[in-house]
Amino acid sequence: MITLHNVSKSFLRFQAIQSVSLSIKKGEIHGIIGASGAGKSTLLRLMNLLEVPDEGEVEVNGQTLTNLNGKQLRQARKSIGMIFQHFNLVANKTVFENVAVSLKLAKFPRKGRSERVKECLQFVGLSSFMDKYPAQLSGGQKQRVAIARALANNPQVLLCDEPTSSLDPNTSAELLTVLQDINRTFGVTIVIVSHEMDVIKSICSRVTVMNEGQVFETVSIEPKGIGIIENSPSFFVEQLTKDGEMGHA
Amino acid sequence: MPDILLQYQAEILSSIEETFIMVGVSIAAAVIIGLPVGTWLFLCRKGQIYENRIVFSVLNLFVNIIRSFPFLLLVVFLIPFTRMLIGTAIGTTAATVPLSIIAIAHYSRLVEQSLLDVPKGVIEAAIAMGASVRQVIFKFLYVEARSGLVLGLTTSIISFISYSTIMGVVGGGGIGDFAIRYGYQQFKTDLMMYMIIIMVILVQFIQFTGTTVSRMIDKR
Repeated sequence: MITLHNVSKSFLRFQAIQSVSLSIKKGEIHGIIGASGAGKSTLLRLMNLLEVPDEGEVEVNGQTLTNLNGKQLRQARKSIGMIFQHFNLVANKTVFENVAVSLKLAKFPRKGRSERVKECLQFVGLSSFMDKYPAQLSGGQKQRVAIARALANNPQVLLCDEPTSSLDPNTSAELLTVLQDINRTFGVTIVIVSHEMDVIKSICSRVTVMNEGQVFETVSIEPKGIGIIENSPSFFVEQLTKDGEMGHA
Repeated sequence: MPDILLQYQAEILSSIEETFIMVGVSIAAAVIIGLPVGTWLFLCRKGQIYENRIVFSVLNLFVNIIRSFPFLLLVVFLIPFTRMLIGTAIGTTAATVPLSIIAIAHYSRLVEQSLLDVPKGVIEAAIAMGASVRQVIFKFLYVEARSGLVLGLTTSIISFISYSTIMGVVGGGGIGDFAIRYGYQQFKTDLMMYMIIIMVILVQFIQFTGTTVSRMIDKR
């Protein structure tokens, strides 16, 4: 589905990605993990050419993005969804408008537009928030709007750049469930960049470990499943004291 | 109403009209030319989507030069240009030329600043969705920066009113010119005070409207 051939990218004199080749299969949830500065976000951003590689080829969905002209690239990007750590919603647009804009960009027929927006918002469980502005939503809700926006045009691929890194653990788990649903229901290929091991282990079936701009190894794993959402106060106490290192005061 | 205002009613009304013409043309120039210039300034900056050092440097230099002139000198300096453009350098219409030029330089700088406040991630998300540069500008940048654009225009309009008061030097007329000729030079201090009051009311009204509108459209 996504293939990188000897892709390199440097910023000023810093070599962010050094001749990376990677192939991501159709329908999988692929994780990318590594230390800060290992190049994982850059690698993801190369997949829709938000970063243009200095060398090498990027192929997505049978199209070699690096050979396309501006117009063709914009067209190709419409079937590559992307979500970000900081959501990047338009704060002056309502939830509805934020999703609708991606349909407008893709020239989705005006008639079915509102129907499609509602469908996507329903999928992420935000039907009743249509007329709210992002400032009125929690972090998890904002990210779900971003997912709805990315899904609206029925993408083949969904790129996720640290999607849960600014969310608390419970909200993270909810969000990962949504991503997993998308993968199972629509067969969307998902690529997740994260520095959190739990996130990667819970839903990914293949994981690429990055180190200093290179692929260290790609391993196949059995997704461990998303942890049970537990937020009762006694659970927190138990977690804090279970190693027996701390006694009750 | 004070007698002196009734006595000069016709002159006062026509000077108000002249001010409105001069400021109105300046606002039009600011929006029609200043807004695109400011947008270009922003887009051509380092790290932005149309990064272009030459275009940026040229626009930046233009804006800085115009804004570094003491306005009175700019008006005099532009006389040949004004004459070339509309055939005369005297009168209200001629006065709109230097005013429009300062208006473009003034507002474009404020536009650039407002656009810089738009989070970079929003532009990135737009590009990732396949937006063209045009769509990034109209569907994302202007939407996100709209309250800053309105506040900037409000500040600009108030400056234009201030600039318009000295257009008497090229026969542009206006409230400021009236206040100086009748109020100051003919020692009618009360008349000058009334003119100042009119200006204060005008500025208060514009600032109030601008602030209210910008607050209403700001959902961030």
